Amino acid sequence: MIASGQRTGSKTPGSGWVWRTMNSLAGAAVFVAPLLALVAIWAIVVPLFEVNPRIFPSVASVADAAADSIRDGSLIRHIGASLLRVGLGTLIGVVTAVPLGIAMGVSPAVSSFLTPLFRFFSVLAGIAWIPIATLWFGYGFGAIVFVIFNAVFFVVAYNTLLGVSTIPMTIRNAAASLGARRWALLTEVLLPGALPNIVTGVRTGLGFAWRGLIAAEMIATNVGLGYMLFVARDFYRTEVIVLGMIVIGLLWLLIDRLLLVPLERATIERWGLVRRT
Amino acid sequence: MSIVLKLWSLYVRGTNRWPVIATIVPFIPVVALWSIAANSGMFPRAFFPAPADVARTFVALTYKGILPDYLQDSLIRLLTGATIGVVLGIPLGLLIGSSKWAHRVCWPVLLFFQAIGDIAWLPILLIWFGFGLTTMTFVIVYTVLFPIVLNTVLGVESVHRDLARAAQSLGASRMRVLWEVTLPGALPNIITGLRNGLGYGWRALIAVEIIVGTSGIGFMMFDARRAGSTVEIILGMIVLGTLWYIVDAWILAPIERATGRRWGLVTS
Amino acid sequence: MKTLSLRNLQKTYFDPYAGSQVTAVHDVSLDVEQGEFVSVVGPSGCGKTTILNMVAGFIPYSGGEILLDGAAVKGPGPDRGVVFQSFALFPWKTVLENVGFGPKMRGVPKADRDRIAREYLELAGLSHAADRYPNELSGGMQQRVGVVRALANNPAVLLMDEPFASVDAQTRMTLQEELTRIWQERKPTVIFITHDVAEAVFLANRVVVLSKGRVLDQIKVDLPRPRVWDHLMQDETFKRLSAQVLQMVRSA
Repeated sequence: MIASGQRTGSKTPGSGWVWRTMNSLAGAAVFVAPLLALVAIWAIVVPLFEVNPRIFPSVASVADAAADSIRDGSLIRHIGASLLRVGLGTLIGVVTAVPLGIAMGVSPAVSSFLTPLFRFFSVLAGIAWIPIATLWFGYGFGAIVFVIFNAVFFVVAYNTLLGVSTIPMTIRNAAASLGARRWALLTEVLLPGALPNIVTGVRTGLGFAWRGLIAAEMIATNVGLGYMLFVARDFYRTEVIVLGMIVIGLLWLLIDRLLLVPLERATIERWGLVRRT
Repeated sequence: MSIVLKLWSLYVRGTNRWPVIATIVPFIPVVALWSIAANSGMFPRAFFPAPADVARTFVALTYKGILPDYLQDSLIRLLTGATIGVVLGIPLGLLIGSSKWAHRVCWPVLLFFQAIGDIAWLPILLIWFGFGLTTMTFVIVYTVLFPIVLNTVLGVESVHRDLARAAQSLGASRMRVLWEVTLPGALPNIITGLRNGLGYGWRALIAVEIIVGTSGIGFMMFDARRAGSTVEIILGMIVLGTLWYIVDAWILAPIERATGRRWGLVTS
Repeated sequence: MKTLSLRNLQKTYFDPYAGSQVTAVHDVSLDVEQGEFVSVVGPSGCGKTTILNMVAGFIPYSGGEILLDGAAVKGPGPDRGVVFQSFALFPWKTVLENVGFGPKMRGVPKADRDRIAREYLELAGLSHAADRYPNELSGGMQQRVGVVRALANNPAVLLMDEPFASVDAQTRMTLQEELTRIWQERKPTVIFITHDVAEAVFLANRVVVLSKGRVLDQIKVDLPRPRVWDHLMQDETFKRLSAQVLQMVRSA
């Protein structure tokens, strides 16, 4: 019991801080090593078997493609367009879904009535909306943001609803008996109580949205990572395709590991509400 | 006793005996609202068809046999992809989960390839295999594979070490431990993985059918989009939603719950 | 001086599964005086938790009245502190924030409510755990937090719903002794629901026995304080009172 008190040892920066930095650096090295090994294999195999560049590119040609597209600004433009769409759609989705989900989750009767509806729509989330979105909004920015919004909105609203309705009644009663009124109940109990589910919802919804984005960009626009890949296919530019795939993978890893996972760690796991790896 | 209480009692008892009712009833007001909105003339009918139009199209397409054919195509593709994904994924997951070295080497690679995502593979697959079944199957397998592998690994790691030790001390060989202890212990996670994988696979299938498009529900929707027929798009969405709802809520989720709950591995 | 009175309290509700009205509490009248510790015992299903929930304001009552200092009780409020069997601590708040929650709801500034919370944590011997989260504590420690969280709000009545039922036997005895100590220091008015007869007698000034939604009987407990298990275990009066209550509960 005394030993575990050290967990709150943020007051001792000295050796602990160095230790933690070393640890996370070592962790990063262990994580990156297999990926570097993969690149090495790629660098050896492609020249060795004289793979046709129209089938699979060499490391050097992908690096050249990267340098070219960075120099002429096209890579940044595609990335920027994709991120803007995902960011905007997700933002609108989360901002509208969370209040709605909480409002619906407050009454158990209402939430159990609405659950099948939201489940149905979260099943459709993302890609299935592409045909109708492009018909309603035409090809371009509006349709894609709508698809992203849809992917995020229903999944997050459903999860928020679920989250609020799984907060034990005793916890709500406890807050009420300690004098919490409507607004305090919302900010102090319902929102933090539903947060684990909200975070899960955002993670899942963003996963659907990211895939939806790539699909929609292949179909319905002339800028963005999906478009970059799909156009390169017309000219058998496999080095651009592989570059795009790597960028897409890295971007998602960054979003997931730097944004979503730490958020989960900082809240849910510390509170002991959910344990996962 | 008031009439309201009587009706409520009837509803509660009805849904208790037939849970399907609780699933269907909430959709009645939605369809009613949709019908009112469509018939009010707020939006042009071609843009925003009424439920009756969609129902008529459903009957017509079913009668012509187009809808059942497309549905069959989509389901067979999904099923083929899922089967291959399971057959590859579970052994891979067991291997990675039970060896520390395999885990260290494969985990980052898995995460990276999962991050690339199925759809991003489409362009290069189209170059490799052309517009055809191989491309579609590859994408579905790719989508289904990762959730299964990642969850199997989690499952294997969640099996308590003492269980394997107990089996070994009772005389089980390494293979027997894998079969009798590790696999059943990881099963709840594997099924969660399968459920997630199919969820993603379903969406990937629609995207592939839209882009590669020769047949299937996704193709039907996008073909209708080209012709500007909202009715068929919405019909496609409803079919997709309903079908997946049935599969997920009435087949996969109960199996997941049954394995987890029965063995007391999942509480709540 | 009466603090809390229940007059002909009654609770019926509609059970949609049975399709009929069910009566959980028939007719309960009870007066609790300022600074009194009342235990309510009874077999499961006797309506004791229902009564507590009505007094706390979590569920409405169908007949009779509940008066607190002469005013009718309506809905939950800070004048009635509740300690739950499941602890009901906010998992997303530290121990300090949990205890300071009531003062925060009253609009007490942060520095002051932290001071209040620390004072109460010290009362429960929990000063070292102030910055931890509830899930990092043992069950016994969690319920200590639950008790002082309710006390820190200065309620007129403290309602305790089988608060020690989900901790182990050893810890339960310690918690019971601590509760009598805190009660002696602060003299709060307490209604303590339990199905454990020895616990009821050990803690209370008065034990109320409930059966099928009615008050069966009441017994005064005038054992000396401070009460400690080591002494009372062998005490003849304690044994006699416990046996008496037990017999009532079993005949109920």
